[in-house]
Amino acid sequence: MSALRAELLKAVTTRLLLWFGLGLLAFLLLVLSIHIGSEDPGVLGELSRQRSTFAFGGIAAIVAVLIGAILVTAEYAHGTINQSFLAVPVRLRLLVAKLGGALLVVFVLAVLADAATLVISELWYSGRGLSLHLGRDTLAPFLGAVGASLLAAGIGVGIGALFRRQTGAVVAILLWLLIGEGVISAAGDAARYAPGHALAAVVAAHSHGSADMLGVWPAAIVGILYVAVFCGAGFLLVIGSDVPGSGD
Amino acid sequence: MIEVEHLTKRFRSATAVDDLSFSVPRGRITGFLGPNGAGKTTTLRVLLGLALPTSGRASVAGKRYRELEAPLKTVGAVLEASNYHPARTGRNHLRVLAAAAGIANARVDLVLAKVELSDAARRRVGGYSLGMRQRLSVAAALLGEPELLVLDEPANGLDPEGIRWLRNFLRSFADGGGTVFVSSHVLAEVSQLADEVVIIHRGKLVAHQPVVELIAQAAGATRVRSPRAAALLERLRAAGIDAEADGERLAVHAPPERVGDLAAEAGIPLHELVADTGSLEEAFLELTAEPQA
Repeated sequence: MSALRAELLKAVTTRLLLWFGLGLLAFLLLVLSIHIGSEDPGVLGELSRQRSTFAFGGIAAIVAVLIGAILVTAEYAHGTINQSFLAVPVRLRLLVAKLGGALLVVFVLAVLADAATLVISELWYSGRGLSLHLGRDTLAPFLGAVGASLLAAGIGVGIGALFRRQTGAVVAILLWLLIGEGVISAAGDAARYAPGHALAAVVAAHSHGSADMLGVWPAAIVGILYVAVFCGAGFLLVIGSDVPGSGD
Repeated sequence: MIEVEHLTKRFRSATAVDDLSFSVPRGRITGFLGPNGAGKTTTLRVLLGLALPTSGRASVAGKRYRELEAPLKTVGAVLEASNYHPARTGRNHLRVLAAAAGIANARVDLVLAKVELSDAARRRVGGYSLGMRQRLSVAAALLGEPELLVLDEPANGLDPEGIRWLRNFLRSFADGGGTVFVSSHVLAEVSQLADEVVIIHRGKLVAHQPVVELIAQAAGATRVRSPRAAALLERLRAAGIDAEADGERLAVHAPPERVGDLAAEAGIPLHELVADTGSLEEAFLELTAEPQA
């Protein structure tokens, strides 16, 4: 517990989360404004449209994977990993605490993203003389966004441990999201199992899958497997190697 | 307090530490010396669990660092001064470490006061001078009230005032019963501070003994100047003493008292009789000298 408390303290004593939170809020404001503001009022009234609007909260998952990676790699970038391992020399314990810290931080961020999505949507809908339907049919993506963000944070921590270099990890994540997922879409049905596709399916939270998207539970299982693989490989690498330092 | 047993650490084809064994006794200040690249930092990093040994073992109080129940309460380590998140305040940096080690927050303010950083505690570390960062490192090392301090080149980049502060601090820590193991290449500092030294070269142990003994071993010849140097040389050699002459000057491998007595017995006037005192630097350079090609 003390290691987890330290990880949370690390996260909140720099401005990393503040900037990510503000950036996420600004991005949600922008995309929701474009999405709702440019749509025909008749279409906006449809339940399926409202559900897809609420799924914008899933953007938090993109931020979550970056936060997960940076919570690990920032320690290597600044060299603070040395003192972290001096305080918690059992490396697996520190890495698990980092994973726990990332999940807690991202949980809060995802809930805030959901809240922001709801508030922005409500403001736009009421401004256009429409009302939101808040029911089980439409609210599932909010839970999906939280779940996908948690999975993304876990994957991010694993990637951070694998790369340990901050620039490398962030560039790899962005390249995968911007290019890799698009390229893999050409693989047909198998693309549903790609990390981004699986997390998108968790956000969409459809109980049944389709040709291009898994159902929510298979997608969640795929996401958990990605977390296990990335964290397993990353943690093994960190445990089995020297902590970088300078000197002779 | 520290035991290093047959420690070897290889990085690919390079051997940084080669079958190194030594121990550091409790309650003393032990200097850890060696030229750049000798393997000092690597040895310390293995000791602290940050690097994995290829073979052998390094332990503190009989346990590997990762096996210590309360590591920060046993060992306080000062590594590189740049190991800080620049956006975090000095106080928050210590709070994080205290939280990780299960140390009460009250210790944070105490150690900040001890290293005279209370006024800068709420400033970001990015704005600290090198000396302030080094003091913060010392504060971090003191958080758990450890009985052993391990310091890697703590005087690096410090101004004379900072070096004096560090020297006084380490001395008072040792006077209070603490053990200090400090690597340094500032030999003058170590000779003033350490009770004994461990010297390594190319990853191997070349000396481990009290500083005074080492300096005594490095003591040079007795310098003598006499108008009757040739007669004195003959007299010294007859007494089985090795000496070299250069005009009126002699370099005699015997204590000045013996040389003076022999000269007096023979009625040879002396114009100069000086004992060349040794230094840790001379001993160090002698021990770590590269063989001539």
